[in-house]
Formats: sequence, C-alpha cells, structure tokens
Amino acid sequence: MDQRETVFIVDDDESIREGVSNLLEAVGINAKCYATAEGFSAHWSNAMAGCLLLDARLPGIGGVELQDRLRESSIKIPVIFMTAHGDIPMVRKVMKAGAVEFLTKPFHKEELLNAIEQAFASDRARRMEEAVLDSIRLRACSLTERERQVMELVATGLTNKEIAQRLFLSLVTIKLHRGQVMRKMQAESLADLVRISERMNPTRASG
Amino acid sequence: MHPRTGFTPSQRLNRLEYANSIKALLGLDVDGADLLPADDMSHWNPTNSVYDATMTAATEIGSSNWLMEYAARPCIIAGFFVLVAFLWTIPLQHVIAYPFVFLFFGAIMGSAWFGGIIAGFVAVALSSVIVTYFFVPPLYSMHVAKESQSFFAAFILSSIAITVVSSSRKRAENASRIARDQLEAKVQERTAELQRSNLEIKESERQLRTLTEAIPQQIWRTDPQGCIEYCNHHLCDYLGLRTEELKGEAFFNVVHADDKPLFRQGWQAALRSGDRFEIEARVRARDGGYRWFLVRSIPQRWEDGRIARWYGIHIDIQQQHRAQQNLVQAQDDLAHMQRSLSMAEMAASIAHELNQPLTALVTHAYACREWLQAKPANLEKASATAEKIIHESTRASVVVRRVRALFQKEEQERELTSMNHLIQELARLLRDEAIRKDVSIRLLLANDLPQLEMDQVQIQQVILNLAMNGMDAMMRVAKPRELVIRTERRGVGEILVAVEDHGPGIAPETAARMFEPFFSTKPQGTGMGLAICRGIIEAHDGKIWAENSVRGGATLQFTLRLQS
Repeated sequence: MDQRETVFIVDDDESIREGVSNLLEAVGINAKCYATAEGFSAHWSNAMAGCLLLDARLPGIGGVELQDRLRESSIKIPVIFMTAHGDIPMVRKVMKAGAVEFLTKPFHKEELLNAIEQAFASDRARRMEEAVLDSIRLRACSLTERERQVMELVATGLTNKEIAQRLFLSLVTIKLHRGQVMRKMQAESLADLVRISERMNPTRASG
Repeated sequence: MHPRTGFTPSQRLNRLEYANSIKALLGLDVDGADLLPADDMSHWNPTNSVYDATMTAATEIGSSNWLMEYAARPCIIAGFFVLVAFLWTIPLQHVIAYPFVFLFFGAIMGSAWFGGIIAGFVAVALSSVIVTYFFVPPLYSMHVAKESQSFFAAFILSSIAITVVSSSRKRAENASRIARDQLEAKVQERTAELQRSNLEIKESERQLRTLTEAIPQQIWRTDPQGCIEYCNHHLCDYLGLRTEELKGEAFFNVVHADDKPLFRQGWQAALRSGDRFEIEARVRARDGGYRWFLVRSIPQRWEDGRIARWYGIHIDIQQQHRAQQNLVQAQDDLAHMQRSLSMAEMAASIAHELNQPLTALVTHAYACREWLQAKPANLEKASATAEKIIHESTRASVVVRRVRALFQKEEQERELTSMNHLIQELARLLRDEAIRKDVSIRLLLANDLPQLEMDQVQIQQVILNLAMNGMDAMMRVAKPRELVIRTERRGVGEILVAVEDHGPGIAPETAARMFEPFFSTKPQGTGMGLAICRGIIEAHDGKIWAENSVRGGATLQFTLRLQS
C-alpha cells in the first residue's frame, strides 16, 4: 500500500477527539480529527485508506446522515459509530447501512481496537479489489473490438466452433483471436479468463 | 258594506241586474236605482254604476229617521208591488179563469222579501182591499158574496203565510250574510295587521343587518346545531369565502391546525351545554396568513329556553397577542425547561454530559498504559496523558456538582402550598400533551386538604412524570383514554396524590423494581424517572408506591406529611 491507513475521527467533543487520538497514537495507529461532519466531507475521497470513527450525534449534519451521504457519493470507507446513548432503531439503521461496529461510550480499548482492525481489514480488501479491477480494466483497454467479442463469448461457455459460426469467421481466426485475448488479459487458463470477464462485467455474469 | 240592508257593493250590483230584469219583465221604465233603499240613493251614481260604500257608512251614522224606516219605506215598496200586480191582473182577468189573484201573491212575496214584514202586511192589506173591490164578486164593491167568502178567507190566510215565510227567510239570509261579511271584514283586518307587522319586522331586520354590516367586526350566526347561516361581509372579506363555503367541516378548517382540536372541542361542548363559548384562536385570512382572534359566541333562546340560534363575533387580538406572547415567551421557556422536560429526558442529558468526560478519561487511561508499556517507555507522553486524565476528571466532577446543585438549591425553596392548586396548574401544562396523545385528564380533588410545605417545582415534576408515564401506558389501549389525578386527605397531616391510568397495569416482576434507578420497561427509557421521583418524595418525608387498580390499569401514588 502506498498510503498509510488512518482513522478519521469525527466528534464534536474535543476531549473525546484528544483521548481517542492519544490512545491510537500510543498503539501506533495514524489518526486524523474533525470536529464536524462538514469538516470531514470537505476532505473525503475514495483514495482515503482506513476507517471513519463517527459520533452518531453531531451538530449540523449528524453521524447517521453523514453515513447516508457517503453512500450516495459512492465513498466506501468503513464506518465505526460511537455514541453516549444509542437507541435500538438507530443502531439497527446504521448497521443495516453497512457500519462495521456501534460503540457505546465509554468503550474499552479492545472494543475500539478490534473494530478498527476489522474496519482496516475490510478497507484493505476493498482497495485490493479496486486495484485488481483497475488493472483488469487497463488490460481490457488493449483488446480490439473483435477480441472483446470473442472473450465475452468464450466466457459464456461457447466452443471455438460455435463462436466461429456465430461470428461468421473461420475456426483458425477464432483460435488466433483467443490466443491474443489470453495473452493480453494475462489469463493463465480458461477458468481464469472467465473469472476476469465476470469481474469486468458483474451484472451480466450474474444475470 | 251597508250595515242595515246587509248589502255589500257587489250584492248591490247584483240587485241592479235583478232590477233591470224586472224592468224588462214588467215592460216598465223603472230605473234600477229605485230598488235600492231610499237612503242609498244619495250615493248612487248612475253614470259609472259604482257604489260608494264608504260614503254610505259615513252618512249612515246620522240617519235615524224612525218613521222613514218603519212606515214610509214599507208602504212605498208594498204600494209599488201591489200596483204592478193590479195593473197586470186587470187585463189578464179577462183571459184567465175567474177570480185571478195570483199576481197579488207575487206582490206580497216581493214586498215581504224586499221591504220586510211590515211591507208584507201593508201589501196584504192593500191586496185585500183591491181584490175585494175589483175582483171578488160583487165587483166594484167592498162587499164579499157569500159564495166567495171562503175563497177570500183562503186568500187572506195564504197572503199572511207568504208574508211571514218570505220575511223570515229574508231575515235568516240577511243574518247569515251579515255573519259572513263580519267574518270577511275580520279576515281583512287581520290580514292588514299581519302585513303591517311583517313590514315592521322587515324594517327592523333591515336596520339590524345594516348595523351588523356597519360594525367593524366579524360577525356570524348559526342554527342551534352549529351550522352556519350568516356571515357579515367583514368576515367574508377576511376569509375570502362566502357563507355557503363555511358550512360543515369548513367552519373548522379556517382555524389554525394547532388550535383546531381545542376550538372544535370547545364549540361542540358549548353546543351541547348551551353555555357561551369563548376561545382565542388563529383564523386563516384569504391570503393564507393567520391572525389571532378572540372568538366569542352566545346563544339566543326562545321563550321556552330552547336555543334559537348562536351569534358569534371575532375580535382581532393580534396586536395584544403578540405583545403578550413576547412577554410570556421568556417566562414560558423557563417554565417549559423546568417543568415539562420530563425526568427521563433530564436523566438522559445528565448521562450524556457525564459520559463524554468519562469516555475521554478511559481512553486517556488506556493510552497512558500503552505509553508506559512501550519499549522503551515514553514517559513524556505518559505524563502529558496523565495531565489530560486529571483535567477530564475535574470536568466530570463539575457535571456532578452541577447536578447536585440543581437539587440542593431547590430543596431550600419549600413553602406552604395547596396541592390542589398545584395539580390544577399542572393540568393546564399537560393539556397540549393530553390532546396530542388523545387522553382526557380528570381531576378528583378533595376540598379539605391542608396546605403542606413542599418544593413546588419538584413535586410538580413528580406528578408530571407519573402523569406522562400513565399517558404512555395508555397509548396501546383503546379509546376513550382517561387519566385520573386524585387527591385525598389521610389522617391529620397527611395527603395522598394518586395518578390512575387505564393501561395494561404493572407486571409483578416490574412492580418490585420500578422505583430502582436504571430500571425501565420502555425501549428508550433511561430508568431514572421513577427513581428520581422516589428521591424527591423521600426527601419530603413521604412514601411513593404503585399498585394495580381493581378495574384494570395502574395507580401510582404518593403521600406527603405535614412537617412539624
């Protein structure tokens, strides 16, 4: 990873921000503090690595609302909520919306660190996935129109012969195209190619 | 109408036709006017044949000529008829068999009919003389032959009978005619009277309407059921609606949504009880804005006490209201903060205030340990963190001290208080909440309660909390929901206050723990409300407990004692 993972703390209470960032510093985790949701949203991007530690009740835009806004902006950073008095409907809502954990103040060190660990792991997986998708997309760019067609048909499970018939081409031409596709997409086997094709186009693969 | 002859003008005209037909029959040059009573002649106008009845009535009063009435007139009428009969009989006796006297019967009948019984008898006498002399043998003498005596006697008897019958028939007819005319006159009189009073009513209504339109206030009127009948133009102008557009539900729709439930309740209660209705409410203007009005309505009753209609007036109190509002606002805010903030909310906010420094404290403590356990230990950081820990601890203790101060300060403010007064004041505060939750609050207050020394705000908070709990407990039960707040005297110096609801009651396992701190059956409850209530009551040397009432629901009650 080219970026250090950071816990973004958003809480209106300065002493909480100080306490949590002090603890995280002591255990060697990078932390960055914001007093309001607005302050945080001025800096967000999908390139952020780490997680968000968010107070549920904030002046102005509330924590729950901020989570909604993140989702609407397709920013997929994991969120850990914390609150002094959470009610059940609120917990249910934010957990359903994909929050990693809901911490009730005051919380134990282990609770916090476990949640952060979990959030970092899922964020790492997310970024890894995104990196893979990026490289696949990059490789797919080098395919010609015909090669892309052939790859899609191969991925749907047709034989070379069937593909030749469908595209009104000779079997030899198809074999040549297929070899090019395998090389360009850096696929080691047919199964690998099918997997890459599915990742590129998840909706079509599932449908 | 002629009072004596009993002829109405129209009847007189009929008589004219009758007279003309007789004239034709007799072949005589007789003017129709001859057939009228002599004293009517003065008002007879032959040129236009109109009879002036009113003039008759005027001259009639002075006429009292007795002789004319009972001698001359009958004689003239009788003479006329007998003369006619005689003149016709002379030629006819040579044609028709002897002795021909029947025309005289006709003359007698006519005389009796038109002239009355006196004229009838005069005609009988005249006829007898003429018949004896001219037509009964021996002719042209007053002697009656022996063989004609029976005939002559029969003639005279028949004549008398005809006279009596004819005149009495005439009298009867006149009597009935008079009765009918009197009735008609009476009807006319009454009709005129009615028309006059109708006019008067219309006039006074017009004046009233002018008045209501002239008054610079909004006025309306409804029927006894409260259905709008009339609005003056000030009201219509203000609302931008016509009277018809205010019927039914629309009557309430012009009232601001927040005032509507109270307005409706009050108005319907007034309609039921017949008491005057008065409320302050916001009413929507045609431009959609609202102004405050004092709406006042009084019933107008029939003599038997039933309500005839309701009159309403809208007095614009926007200015006063705004001034009053500003004045009350600050006071109100304070009272709201102090009183209507429920114990639970207060406890929650205290918990939140304490939780913040505690969280910081705990995380700093963890961090401190981490700095010390690091290899090598970062003493500088650990020391700075310890500073933070001290700082946060102080902050937490400030919160605690503030909470204590809140209660301590009020403990010193005990004064002699009427519990009933306190509860009545509280019921007003609870009104909005009760309306929102669709609960009616009934106060059953004993009137022999001693005044006790208490902290008014705290005791009000206790009752408020119990009442809120009671209303919450009834949220899931069917209507009507009623909350009863009851006071009762117990012994010499003790009073009991009970808050009863019709909710599901208290489960046995709950009853034992409900006054403990942090015990709550509500998903969002903090479990502090009843615990604080118990704290307050016990600080007042009282007791608080809960039981299920026999008819379902829970009763939460406390006692307070006179402090010696």
